[in-house]
Amino acid sequence: MPEQTEPGYIFEALSITKTFGGVCALDDVSLRLKSGEVLAVVGDNGAGKSTLIKSITGALNRDSGDLYFDGQKIEINSPKDAKQIGIETVYQDLALVNELNVTKNIFLGREVVRDNWLGRLFGILDFRKMDSEVRSLFSKLNIRITDIYREAEAFSGGQRQAVALSKTVMFGKRVAILDEPTAALGVRESQMAMDLVMSLKNHGLSVIMITHNMQHVLEYCDRVMVLRLGRLAAVKDVAEVDGDSLVSLITGANEAKAA
Amino acid sequence: MSDNSAADSGAISGSNSATRDVVMHQVRQMAQVFLALIAIYAVFYLLSEPFRSWNTLFTIMTQASILAILACGTTVVLISGGLDLSVGSIFAVVGVVVGILLVNFQFPVWLAIISGLATGAFLGFVNGSIQVFSGVPAFIVTLGGLTAYKGIAELLGSGQDLSRFPESFQMLGSGYYAPISIMFASALLIGLFLRLTKLGNHAYAIGGNEEVARLSGVNVAKSRIIYYTIGGLMAAMAAIVEVSKLNFAQSSRGQSYELFAIAAVVIGGTSLFGGRGGVGKTIVGMLIMQTIIVGLAYLGVGTSVQRIAIGVIIILAVFLDVWQRPKR
Repeated sequence: MPEQTEPGYIFEALSITKTFGGVCALDDVSLRLKSGEVLAVVGDNGAGKSTLIKSITGALNRDSGDLYFDGQKIEINSPKDAKQIGIETVYQDLALVNELNVTKNIFLGREVVRDNWLGRLFGILDFRKMDSEVRSLFSKLNIRITDIYREAEAFSGGQRQAVALSKTVMFGKRVAILDEPTAALGVRESQMAMDLVMSLKNHGLSVIMITHNMQHVLEYCDRVMVLRLGRLAAVKDVAEVDGDSLVSLITGANEAKAA
Repeated sequence: MSDNSAADSGAISGSNSATRDVVMHQVRQMAQVFLALIAIYAVFYLLSEPFRSWNTLFTIMTQASILAILACGTTVVLISGGLDLSVGSIFAVVGVVVGILLVNFQFPVWLAIISGLATGAFLGFVNGSIQVFSGVPAFIVTLGGLTAYKGIAELLGSGQDLSRFPESFQMLGSGYYAPISIMFASALLIGLFLRLTKLGNHAYAIGGNEEVARLSGVNVAKSRIIYYTIGGLMAAMAAIVEVSKLNFAQSSRGQSYELFAIAAVVIGGTSLFGGRGGVGKTIVGMLIMQTIIVGLAYLGVGTSVQRIAIGVIIILAVFLDVWQRPKR
């Protein structure tokens, strides 16, 4: 019996199944996101976290499962479809093109074309407008990257993540999906990235965040869903859990004990 | 955001030395290629008395022009992370087609030119489409194109005397000024396309990281097809100039032109792996090659040794680039 849509959620991905060859990466997993919340997705390596994200944002074709937005069934077959609905995703290691500068990275796929007949005909880019929008966005978010003409390759991990996250503020209308926003960052940079995640929430976005950092789950998230070996192990309010119980859910320690 | 976020963001504002390295590398690279051209020219200038004339300079540019026009298209394809080995054969087909239209069908010159350009663009379009929709690697598809298009050119052109074109057609490739102007016009047009337009910028994005471009909503398949179409179009432009210059068309023309074009792009400093480069560099790269060929000829060095020299220069150019690239 497939899952049914329920009231009170902004985004639902129900009974998602995805196999690679003969291997089942996701088995009937459902994700429900409440409006205005930060939902953590946790699980061990290979639990299916990234596959789940990619299957619901059009980056991967899922085998089965339905998507609902505000209770309405929607089709997302490509990354562009998701963006048009207002879902913005930061994929791990696939957020920026090294060879492009900051402005070009942020506007990649959604460039602003000059507003005259020549611009529209040939798709001539309005770099001045894009640069100024990036500058005002960075000042709004307290991101102190001054040289927006520099290639992304030149920036540190924290700076790159800040650029990637600011993209979701610029274009994410409803939902932001983040795949490990603090992976490979130092303590200070992690803190900065999490501040940006919180500012997404303050800008009215609902956030889905994959993370390995239990401290971040307890400190910043409202609910947490645990994946284990491609299946949904638990969905909890963060208030109901602590670090130890989360780790048990992730590793399946309690079930092993019971058995 | 919390009050202390400004202080925290200090962590991402710090400049690092890698930043300066990458920017400096770009500036240095363009300057170096240009200085290399001047240095090579100066060496032949000192060694050979007859080399020291305006005539020689214009000869170099004229000889570079046809391959440079073709290489403008190759630059776009390579920046987007693609590869087109078939442009030399597209060149042959277009030459024969234009010859047939002018001689056998008495087409007006402008219509023959447009038909030739359309033929080249179409063959490039076919290359791109096959690659995008079949998933067969660019190397294989365009290697197939290299052979197949060559066959088409031979079928169309065999046993025909395609020569003695109308005067107005001969103007395109004759003398110094027309071919050199067409070379610079092509470079300017492709340069503006790459720098200013959305599609041009997507070439750098796709060449840099195709998956990120796709996930960002770029229509990678459509863009790639257009880049190969441009490659075919520029091969056609080059073919038209050459047919006009020689005043005859033959299916054997264009042999290995794709390799000379790739060589010029690489000597200029455009990355073979995509994401970086520009058409200005390609023009300089082509001028370096032609200066060496013409200069060695003036010194009485035969074509075989010229080829060896070009081969060494290709490897040296890439070696210098790899060697100087900031280590990460």
